[in-house]
Amino acid sequence: MVTLNVNGTDHSVEVEADTPLLWVLREELALTGTKFGCGMGMCGACTVLLDGKLTRSCIVPVGAVKGQAVTTIEGLSKDKSHPVQRAWIAESVPQCGYCQSGMILAAAVLLKEKPNPTDHEIDVGVTNICRCGTYNRVRKAIHRAAQGEAPPKPTTV
Amino acid sequence: MRYISRREFVSAAATLSGLALSLELPAQETARPVAAAARPPRLPTAFLQIGEDDGITIITPAVEMGQGGHTSLPMIIMEELGGNWDRIRVADAPAAAIYNNPMFGLQATVGSFSVRGWYLELRRIGAAARLMLLQAAAKTWKVSAEQCTVGGSEVIHGPSGRKCSFGSVARLAASLPIPQNPLLKTVAQYTVIGSSPPRVDIPDKVDGSARYGIDVTLPDMLYAAVKTCPTFGGKLKSFDDSACKSMPAYRATVPLPDGVIVVAQSYWQARKALERVKVDYDPGRLAGLDSEKVSHLLRAGFDEPGIVARNDGDVQAALARATKRVEATYEVPYLAHACMEPMNCTAQVTDEGCEVWCGTQNPQAAQAAAAAVLGIPPARVKVHVQYLGGGFGRRGEADFVTQAVTAAKATDGRPVKLIWSREEDIQHDFYRPAAAIRFRGGLDASGNLIALECKVVSASEPNLGRRGGPPFFVEAVADAQYRIPNFHVTGLNKDLGVRWGFWRSVNHSHNPFMFEGFIDELARSAGKDPYQFRRSMLQHDTEGARRQLAVLDLMAEKADWPHPPAGHSYGISAFEAFGSFIGTIVEASVKDRVVTLHRIVQAIDCGVAVHPDNIKAQLEGGMAFGLTAAVRGEITLKDGAVVQGNFHDYPALMLAEMPVVETYIVPSTAAPGGVGEPGTGPIAPSLGNAIYAATGQRLRSLPLSKHQLSIKVVRT
Repeated sequence: MVTLNVNGTDHSVEVEADTPLLWVLREELALTGTKFGCGMGMCGACTVLLDGKLTRSCIVPVGAVKGQAVTTIEGLSKDKSHPVQRAWIAESVPQCGYCQSGMILAAAVLLKEKPNPTDHEIDVGVTNICRCGTYNRVRKAIHRAAQGEAPPKPTTV
Repeated sequence: MRYISRREFVSAAATLSGLALSLELPAQETARPVAAAARPPRLPTAFLQIGEDDGITIITPAVEMGQGGHTSLPMIIMEELGGNWDRIRVADAPAAAIYNNPMFGLQATVGSFSVRGWYLELRRIGAAARLMLLQAAAKTWKVSAEQCTVGGSEVIHGPSGRKCSFGSVARLAASLPIPQNPLLKTVAQYTVIGSSPPRVDIPDKVDGSARYGIDVTLPDMLYAAVKTCPTFGGKLKSFDDSACKSMPAYRATVPLPDGVIVVAQSYWQARKALERVKVDYDPGRLAGLDSEKVSHLLRAGFDEPGIVARNDGDVQAALARATKRVEATYEVPYLAHACMEPMNCTAQVTDEGCEVWCGTQNPQAAQAAAAAVLGIPPARVKVHVQYLGGGFGRRGEADFVTQAVTAAKATDGRPVKLIWSREEDIQHDFYRPAAAIRFRGGLDASGNLIALECKVVSASEPNLGRRGGPPFFVEAVADAQYRIPNFHVTGLNKDLGVRWGFWRSVNHSHNPFMFEGFIDELARSAGKDPYQFRRSMLQHDTEGARRQLAVLDLMAEKADWPHPPAGHSYGISAFEAFGSFIGTIVEASVKDRVVTLHRIVQAIDCGVAVHPDNIKAQLEGGMAFGLTAAVRGEITLKDGAVVQGNFHDYPALMLAEMPVVETYIVPSTAAPGGVGEPGTGPIAPSLGNAIYAATGQRLRSLPLSKHQLSIKVVRT
């Protein structure tokens, strides 16, 4: 039995403690917005936030998450209203979309830390792989979100 | 000499490669493009359904894997229907012959065929539906249909000003006869086609709610992990799963001809149990194959007879009398697709047959694969198409469906979700074949290209043309638009037994690197400007030459060719691909083996631009796919197995490496060409040509990393 707090709600799940957080989110809590891509923390498709920090959930055992707040793409906003999500829609960023949950969370954290990031800061802050090649629109959407409005304070990011 | 068309190829592929099986098609579905008037439109209600609430459901025959088919195909219907765009929702078509692409007769989202294949038929369907709605309203009002018009999802009676919604007459409309030959709008009348409405799939892709194959969740579902023999053609000899039996979540080990599947209560438990299964393989006849051998075999093919794909003039005589002769060989490696979503499929065996859930580019192939495992007719397999987390050609195959259904046979009716590891995905792909070309060119005293001999050798890609006809893999060489008086192309397949497949842009992913690279060499040997050299060979009056020339000129104008900023160099290439004409100029500088990419200028003539914003996204994305391959894409073989296994040794392009891209669309009223794939091919030749312009070093093989070259990007 492992307990964890995800998107503001406490859960108890019957899993082995070495199970990566990714699979607990997807299979036990039905939060399938977090994706499996590589299984070795490289591609970023499985990105979630642990106490607000970007984390690759495919290599984090659920047993190590105890006491930390987990935020997934489903918890970023209730209605696609986070400035990053709005910018993503405005710039038509996704293609296949599979990497985009991780991309969006990476962008949200970057903007929280650097409200008006330079291109270099975007290069360093967004290390998720996108095989569709949406990168230039990702960059544009981050700039748009930065110029639009400050990310709202009380949200989960 | 006739060159095999892609359409003929795909028809051949349907029978040869198992791309799709068991297609019992009515004659009209398999037909090559016929005069529109020769037959009625396909059944409109199979493609659009209007509810009483005026909601319009468009059933798309193209799956959504990021190329925008869920938006562009509905746009084509809606253009003629006159419905309210804001009220549409989109659903994937089930596996059924009525959804076979009119251009090549398969229900497959491949070959950049969706818009160009459906452009005419979906307009006819939309127009037929509009007429049926209009007639239904006229009948209700007891007025003449000629007095009625449609707009904004309403039928309007002109004289009385009466209006009714589509939804209120949809039921009656559906019962009316299908108009045989509805009048279509002209390009000048378009209001939807050519606009760029927000892609319908995007909102669900920003909050995690979009459902991909891997997200399918069913009651009582089990999970499966799979491992197959690392060497190509290897077979399972025996396995020992006794170490799994003590694991409470373990359910079953299911043998495959070439590996094992382990079923468990969760995916992680399946992975852990799989590690405990001891497997013994017969490694098969390819156990000794490695990349050096592949390269050697390809090059040995230069001196073996191949199939003649083009033979204009007398190339040997012209080479003999040429003032200057140039010879070079080029080579490219195998490549994996590496879709972000690893291969997966969920299957459930039921009393009625079987249900399958997956992201697939070919629902009927998935259906046939499932049916074959169970020995039942395909009609008893229901395929639920999901979003694809990347396709790029990989998901036209159905090997993962075969595996999932095999697992589902062993679970007493419980559904099973089978997910590949990334390593399985990279090491058991259907690879873009390795290939090599030997070129011999001859220039006359004025520097004109009078002779070109090309020997194309492909590793593993069979001669998919008509029996005895020219092979498919000479595409982008034998069909060059350039006028070369003595032009000879042969193709030779060295079937090494490595699984080959369609990789975004297929032969256009690599042949242009070699062909347009050599054209650049010839231009330099002739002492001519590479852009002007190409122009000089496109002065003949054919549609292809005219359109390719316009693309060359547009990008040259936008890049201000031949005047790169100080210290920078330009590389150029252009060709026809997937019914479109595409070209790229790379602006680069090179210092200490680092290639700095300053700017990429792309231009396309894709006929009518249905969704310009998406076309730009596709060209940019296609370029990134090609750039990844050009810079570091390489699958190598050792002892008959793939060396690479994950993104650490098969790395993708990163955001920091994505260059600034400008994309221009040549205005056109021609029938649409493809846009999903053309963008992939031109980056490698243009990059190679820019590197030559900067350094004098000619790149004749890929990737750049092989030549100790890397890239960086400058944003100004």
